[in-house]
Amino acid sequence: MLSSLRARLLLWYTLILALVIATFAGTVCYLFWRSLVDDVDQGLQGSAVGLVEGLRPTDFGDFDLVLPLEYREIDGAPPPLTYYAVWNGAGELIDRSAIDFEIPMPAATGARTHDGRRELAVTAVNGTIVLVGRDLREIQGEVLGFATTAAAGGIVALALSLLGGWFLVGRALAPVARISQAAARMTAGDLSARIAIERTENELEQVALALNQAFDRLHLAVDNERRFTADASHELRTPLATISAELEWALARERSSDEYRRCLDTSSRAAQRMRSVVERLLTLARADAAEMSLQKAPVGLGPIVQDALGILRPLAEQKQVAIDAELGAATVVGDRDRLTDLVTNLLSNAIQYNHPGGQLRVDVWPEGDAACLRVRDTGIGISAEDLPRIFERFYRADKARTTHSGGAGLGLAIAKWIVDAHGGQIACESVVGKGTDILVRLPRVT
Amino acid sequence: MRLLVVEDERDLADALRRALEEEEFAVDISGDGEDALFKIREMPYDAVVLDLMLPRLDGWSVLQQARAAGIRTPVLILTARDVIDDRVRGLNLGADDYLTKPFALAELVARVRAMIRRAYGNPVATLQLGDLTIDTAAREVRRHGLPLELTAREFAILELLIRSRGSVVARATICEHIYNEEADVLSNVVDVHVAALRRKLGADLIRTRRGEGYIIDA
Repeated sequence: MLSSLRARLLLWYTLILALVIATFAGTVCYLFWRSLVDDVDQGLQGSAVGLVEGLRPTDFGDFDLVLPLEYREIDGAPPPLTYYAVWNGAGELIDRSAIDFEIPMPAATGARTHDGRRELAVTAVNGTIVLVGRDLREIQGEVLGFATTAAAGGIVALALSLLGGWFLVGRALAPVARISQAAARMTAGDLSARIAIERTENELEQVALALNQAFDRLHLAVDNERRFTADASHELRTPLATISAELEWALARERSSDEYRRCLDTSSRAAQRMRSVVERLLTLARADAAEMSLQKAPVGLGPIVQDALGILRPLAEQKQVAIDAELGAATVVGDRDRLTDLVTNLLSNAIQYNHPGGQLRVDVWPEGDAACLRVRDTGIGISAEDLPRIFERFYRADKARTTHSGGAGLGLAIAKWIVDAHGGQIACESVVGKGTDILVRLPRVT
Repeated sequence: MRLLVVEDERDLADALRRALEEEEFAVDISGDGEDALFKIREMPYDAVVLDLMLPRLDGWSVLQQARAAGIRTPVLILTARDVIDDRVRGLNLGADDYLTKPFALAELVARVRAMIRRAYGNPVATLQLGDLTIDTAAREVRRHGLPLELTAREFAILELLIRSRGSVVARATICEHIYNEEADVLSNVVDVHVAALRRKLGADLIRTRRGEGYIIDA
């Protein structure tokens, strides 16, 4: 594709250049020819005048002709290029040069080119017609010589510019070659392929720059996708491995009822965990596919928090976390179930990742046209390094994976989606060892 | 044979421990990478079953650092990550085998046994010693085709001595290979088992090197 582009560019370039050179050379040759013919015409004019003057009527009704010098015979031979002829008023040939071709009487006076010769006919006394002519072979040769030189020059110029053009087009298209190489590597699965950029001022290099940026984003997207799939498979396969190992063990031989109970207990816990991961994944998948329709209606944020706290109180007691809530009046238009998910998520994180004897503080209040929800805990906190990534899917700041907390790293991703879907913002501040502070702002109606 | 199972998912680790102990392995459990690396460096495990996604230090780093420290214990990677790059990376860092979750317990056990056999330079599960045939996979000893009744510990000691045939195995080493870290072992327990083995297999097979340990001649 590339070489043909280069060849085609060059072909057009050559065609145009050849046309220009040919037109120019043709015009110059023509003008040169014309100027030579004009010179001949002037000479013929002078000769005609001389002949006309040399033509004297005699008393006998015919003429005496005194030839100008250039028409006189030299050593019995006529001059090589010029000739003349004279006819009387009755159209009879009176005199002519001793030349070996016929000169037909001209139908009209004036200049004409005839059979490679230039001729001029004028009328003189008593209706006589004087014709002078000159062979054009000499000047034809001259013009031909000039044209040959011009053609040779033109061909040389064309060849040189072709060579230069090949080089220049190649140079200009070099980034295209690099772009296509990088794209080919990319297609072959090497996502780290980038286009080498040499001179940034060139338009094609700008294209390469833009493509590199696009490649970067593609690479990132593919990496994220891969990581997501690997994480999802990890979150599902690990409990599945537990279940399968437990069942295989239980079935290997007769076990006591306590052993069966413990085995079923563990399996059930693993199944529970898988269910939770699957549900959350489905929630996110539906959210991605924009299939999740929100049943929006005016709903008070305070009562939602109240309900969520009711559900989570036993967990808080178990973890010995004290809850302190101050719920102001703030109504938003939103999906009650989703908002409950959001609040439950944030609150259960604040309890799960708290220390025994820790605090959980929830506030709801109106502020301007926003309804604010703030969840603060005195838990383990999130490091500055993890903080920007906590809303990513499967990202867990809690590397210890206290798996009994049941988290798969999807809760905050879902929380963020719910907040986004309601046109709000969610922000998180945290200090390791001190606690985490999450602020949600949603558009408020009252 | 003593194993270290590195798995942060506690339920799975428990299930593995139970299953492997039934297969007469002495099993230690480690729930994070740093602890695992410490144990691998301290104990002469016969094999390690290693998860990759671990808190504190991931499985690749554990593997890499253990190998860098010159530890040649066979390692089987057991993980939920099934991306080919992950496997290749694990194997290139010095893992001996790879199993993806979920897995069949029987396959895990067979792979661990195979790894240990290879590490002791014998790829076959059955060992022949005089008129004794020892099947390490079926956990059986036969003399002239007739099975002998050995306890799990006795079998483990016999297996260890046969694998190390021709060299003296210290009592401490025997303890390390047949008990896990939670066992509270009396100092003469090995002697008791060896005495029982001699009763069942004949007095000449296992010889005592005073102050050093036991040996089965090559």
